[in-house]
Amino acid sequence: MEATQNATVVKMAHLQKSFGDNEVLKDISLTIHKGETVVVLGKSGSGKSVLIKCMVRLLDVDEGKVSILGSDIFSLNRKELNLLRMKIGFLFQGAALYDSLTVRENLEFPLRQSGKPREEIDALVMEVLQSVGLEDAVDLMPSELSGGMRKRIGLARSMILKPEIMLYDEPTTGLDPITAKEISNLILEVQKKYNTTSIIITHDIQCARITANRMLILNNGVFVAEGAFDELKKSEDKLVHSFFE
Amino acid sequence: MKAFFTEVTSLTFFTGRFFKELFQPPYEFNELVKQAYLIGNKSFYLVAITGFIMGLVLTIQSAPTLSQFGAESWLPAMVAVSIIREIGPVITALICAGKVGSGIGAELASMKVTEQIDAMEVSGANPFKYLVVTRVVAATLMIPVLVIFSDAISLGGAFMGVNITGDVSFSLFFSQVVEAVDFADVFPAFIKTFFFGFIIGLVACYKGYHSNKGTEGVGAAANAAVVMASLLVFIIDMIAVQFTNLLINY
Repeated sequence: MEATQNATVVKMAHLQKSFGDNEVLKDISLTIHKGETVVVLGKSGSGKSVLIKCMVRLLDVDEGKVSILGSDIFSLNRKELNLLRMKIGFLFQGAALYDSLTVRENLEFPLRQSGKPREEIDALVMEVLQSVGLEDAVDLMPSELSGGMRKRIGLARSMILKPEIMLYDEPTTGLDPITAKEISNLILEVQKKYNTTSIIITHDIQCARITANRMLILNNGVFVAEGAFDELKKSEDKLVHSFFE
Repeated sequence: MKAFFTEVTSLTFFTGRFFKELFQPPYEFNELVKQAYLIGNKSFYLVAITGFIMGLVLTIQSAPTLSQFGAESWLPAMVAVSIIREIGPVITALICAGKVGSGIGAELASMKVTEQIDAMEVSGANPFKYLVVTRVVAATLMIPVLVIFSDAISLGGAFMGVNITGDVSFSLFFSQVVEAVDFADVFPAFIKTFFFGFIIGLVACYKGYHSNKGTEGVGAAANAAVVMASLLVFIIDMIAVQFTNLLINY
């Protein structure tokens, strides 16, 4: 796939984040353009999830700046931040569905304060459910869903506000290879359908192969390699090569 | 000691944030009604059974002592005052600290562990308002209602207890209760139940919301919520009694 060189939607500059003495991110800089699908690949504990959480200010950084859609997210007040977050979809590792709510209520949750009429909300719910192929699950509870279904519903929920940017935290972790491939393809479909900019955090090389325009490899808090899937696959660097074995 | 003061400071900030968020729109009325229903409905049978047993046992245990002084006829009055002033509110609050407090503590902690609270935050919602404010307000409003039910059912138990050893009609029992209990018994006891409800909801939410250490933290949060809320119920009760006595004597 070819990356679309367009307006900058995400810009991170000299990001640093530590937990006590543990330096998780050390001087991370990254620019992502509109329509790109960037995959950040890294081993467990390399700081991938911390990086993605800093992008939406779920975690504060020690140093550096994060600019999303032109706004420095660490200088926004709560109201401005919430407005910006509504333009960002986030699929969590375990899907993070609200256990006490049905699938329909989970999907409606981001729309609660939108003031949209009931018919419009129902239409949006059915639209995103159709996008992930789970129209029949609308009245189920999260506990009644399989791992793959949970991920699909989580994806549907994060898409319901039609975000400009999608962040995926380990979207295929814990799934069997077939379901993982289905989810990867679904990410690609969603990206095409809604023309979102996507950032995918993963250690699943198949997911990266299917979805990535550009890949970055994170190790010990710094990016150690960057390029297209095929470029990195040919790399002779031992660490980079180890992901493709 | 440092940990204690850190905890107190953190709880104070949490309380401050609660009052700040309480009065700011948007208001989560649907969630508040849902939580009030859950707290009231799920605790009702437990509170009813314990209330009934409490009234029955208190009456049976008190009867021999009163009969030694030839004061058996005072039994309904004594039991009613004990239940309404002290035993009903405190026992109900302790039961709710166990049932409601552990439930809220574990629920919020598990939401934290599974990133559900983070998911709310990134969707542009305010999880504190949706999860904490609604639960604390619901507990503050519902514990007094449960105490009223508990007191009434306890008096039913007391009526049965009186009739195990003697023969007292319901109208006589009821008139003795009404005669013995006055405004100074009912009003302060009722007011303190709002504080019990508030502290149970607040502590449970605080422990759940600030849970960490993964799944281990869920159990720890539920446990800490019950222990801390129960202790604070006793402390509030002690302060309320002193305050009431001061007011009455003044």
